[in-house]
Amino acid sequence: MNKQSVQKSAGSGIVFGIIIIFLALIGFTVVISGLIQKVSGRPIGVGQLPKIIYFYIFLGFLGIWNGWRASRQDQHESLTISKVVPRSAIAGLTTGLLVMVYAFLVGDLDARGIDVRNYLSQLSSESIHFFLFNQPFTLGALIHVVFNTIMAVVGGLLAWLKERSQEKVRAARVSVQKWSQDRWLGKLQGNPYVSYVLMGVVLLLLVLLPRTWGAYWNYVMGTVGIYVLLGLGLNIIVGLSGQLVLGYVAFFAIGAYTFALTTAPEPHHLVWNFWIALVVSVLAAALSGILIGLPIMRLRGDYLAIVTLGFGEIIRILLKSDILKDFTMGPRGVRNIAGPTLFGKSFTTDLDFMYVIILAVLLAIFLAKRWQDSSIGRAWLAISQDETVAQATGVNTYKYKLLALSLGAAFAGLGGALFASRNQFTGPEDHALMVSINVLCLVIVGGMGSIPGVVLGAFTLKGLPEILRELESYRLLVFGALLVVMMIIRPEGLWPARRPKLEVMTPQEDEAPPALAETGGTA
Amino acid sequence: MEATQKKKMLTLPQNSIRIIRLVAALLLLALIILRAINVAAESQFGADTWLRLSFSGLIIGGMYALIAIGYTLVYGILFMINFAHGEVMMIGTFGGYFAFEVFNAIQIPGADGSQTSFMNSFPVIAILLAFLIGMVISALSGYFLERIAYRPLRGAPRLVPLISAIGASIFLQNAGQLLFGPQRRQYINPIILERGIGWNLKVAGSTVVLTYTGVFSLVLSAILMIALYLLVQRTKLGRAMRAVAQDKKTAALMGINVDQIISRTFVISGALAGAAGVMWGIHNGLFNYFVGFIPGIKAFTAAVLGGIGNIPGAMVGGMFLGIVESLGPAILGIDFQLKDVIAFTILILVLIFRPSGILGEALSEEKV
Repeated sequence: MNKQSVQKSAGSGIVFGIIIIFLALIGFTVVISGLIQKVSGRPIGVGQLPKIIYFYIFLGFLGIWNGWRASRQDQHESLTISKVVPRSAIAGLTTGLLVMVYAFLVGDLDARGIDVRNYLSQLSSESIHFFLFNQPFTLGALIHVVFNTIMAVVGGLLAWLKERSQEKVRAARVSVQKWSQDRWLGKLQGNPYVSYVLMGVVLLLLVLLPRTWGAYWNYVMGTVGIYVLLGLGLNIIVGLSGQLVLGYVAFFAIGAYTFALTTAPEPHHLVWNFWIALVVSVLAAALSGILIGLPIMRLRGDYLAIVTLGFGEIIRILLKSDILKDFTMGPRGVRNIAGPTLFGKSFTTDLDFMYVIILAVLLAIFLAKRWQDSSIGRAWLAISQDETVAQATGVNTYKYKLLALSLGAAFAGLGGALFASRNQFTGPEDHALMVSINVLCLVIVGGMGSIPGVVLGAFTLKGLPEILRELESYRLLVFGALLVVMMIIRPEGLWPARRPKLEVMTPQEDEAPPALAETGGTA
Repeated sequence: MEATQKKKMLTLPQNSIRIIRLVAALLLLALIILRAINVAAESQFGADTWLRLSFSGLIIGGMYALIAIGYTLVYGILFMINFAHGEVMMIGTFGGYFAFEVFNAIQIPGADGSQTSFMNSFPVIAILLAFLIGMVISALSGYFLERIAYRPLRGAPRLVPLISAIGASIFLQNAGQLLFGPQRRQYINPIILERGIGWNLKVAGSTVVLTYTGVFSLVLSAILMIALYLLVQRTKLGRAMRAVAQDKKTAALMGINVDQIISRTFVISGALAGAAGVMWGIHNGLFNYFVGFIPGIKAFTAAVLGGIGNIPGAMVGGMFLGIVESLGPAILGIDFQLKDVIAFTILILVLIFRPSGILGEALSEEKV
């Protein structure tokens, strides 16, 4: 047990200690324990705290992770019990001591009857008691130390066990793979009809599911569908042509407002047909893409990002301001927007809307796929890889970037129009910067340039939070952390594009290699 | 013959785009001047209003400048927009707020036996300490931000750290909301720096108040800017920073620890943002977790305006943006709601017509 090893273990312990304290401060410990309780099949009443046992489970999970991480310090060494136990014990003890200090502090404040919610809004007396396992605060703090240490040692032992059994596990996995390949996967992969059957099943599900779901699920999935549309559009701009645009919401707003102003009785008395207005909004968004893109498409990278962000904000502020009040109703927003009609019969239930959105999404996927595989798609790929080289090889970069922006904007316009129509309302706050960021997140999390990735991303980022209602207020926090973690460990996304080496995956040359920087002396 | 014609046709668009841009810029300028003259002829505002607006523009400009320096320092070295910089300022604002709350709560017996708070018995020390605390907390968060969100991405393509920065920004903003709640809070100032009180100037028949907080902020931001300039130009650390900004590889070969210099750059820019944050709190009073977002974007605008990567440029850009933003609506005779629109419009125009900014050297397209 050398000094470096101790330092590393303690470092891991400190990181986990800070994480636990942070989670406690933002009230996440209570929420996640409640979630574990729910998942394990025991409902909790409104305003009721979850059972302490589920908090133990959550803490135990973190502790095992802590010990696991601390005991595997070097990939090349083989673990032994004499290495694993002290390392994980030190990590767990450090975590426990840190948490103990925190628990003492808040426990003491609480015992003296001071309400800290004025300053730290999540720390109600109940949540402090919960964090202390409903024990007196000295005992609670001690339990934290003991429990963290034990769980960390368990984690360390698990890491050791895993390494010991690694060979066996690998052999087993290989044999299972071989078996499945021989028996059925290999046959299926060679069969051309499989993809048709799969497509048929998906289509059948898309037709049947909305009928059986009920209104709430149709609403949630409708939102997901609209975000799939937006994601597909932004995917063309960011994923395919490699232009980072942060003001995507501008086109969403233009689509929504065009649709709203042409179909709502107020303020313009233009009560157009749904389909005409839909086409007009898509065209308006595409046109605005060209108009906004004309002057700025020369810019690259971060500058383009920040300029488009500026455009998005300008449009939102203008919509909200008083000078356009007669034209767009100002901050009140536009009401009574038309729903879809067909042959004079209007259908505006959630179910009907779900079908409209599904149709739009299928159309968008089809178009995006066709564009991606065409010569336009190859030009975009060239631009996203290296613009200078693309230009040198005869790609009209300006034209293709503009095309990408306006096509992406058209998708946003479609999404905006459907969104406004479904809500029968649109206002300036529907078009805040957060929409752009959400869409960007789903494109990146799904995998830039990958159409199935976009769909998956929309389900993960828009669908999951709807299912996990408890996590609603933590959604953006998790988003943010997810983006950072994603960029560090998996920049290509959950379902990366098949095309080799999109921009994200190729390191650039002009940076100093890390090895060089580390061996340099002090300044 | 045919060949030359073809060549001409190929070169024409490039030139014509440039000319169109120039004409558009001149037209726009003429329009703005015309509008300004028209509005001035109406003489809607007296001299007192103009003075008040310029003063508030200078104060806000000083804060923008401090934040903009942070953007410029980081951009100069890493070529990335530190999107979370506004959140670093927010953390500084909270740091100063809690410091003042604590100083206000500590009671010290006075000479005549009455109890006064620490803040009002030693106001200068309290203010200095609050700034120090805000700056240290911001500097620390800048340091950890770099360590956690940016350092693992060193050498990745430029989109990757930018997205990571956006993620960090969202994370910090929401962490702030969850920790401290969404409600607005109010700074408690020491009595000598009471908000809204100051020297009364009689101008054109009405009084204009030069607030103490405003003058204090302006002076402090000037001092900090001079200190930073000296640090960058005169010290060993500054020289190392400039070397890393010029060429990381060569700097590393010359024995500079590049990672360490980058860390220190983040610490310095964080400290400046923290100072700006405490100033914001002292001067404006009300704030919440969202306080850093708009100043962050504005300060980035200021940094671009002055020429990104250029420290005096960031200072000039910040001051310029502050003044334009507060005088602009009055000059153009439009609603004061639209001052953010003016800032963003300036950003877009600068990037379209002169991407290198007011003081910036011509950046190669690759850097832009």
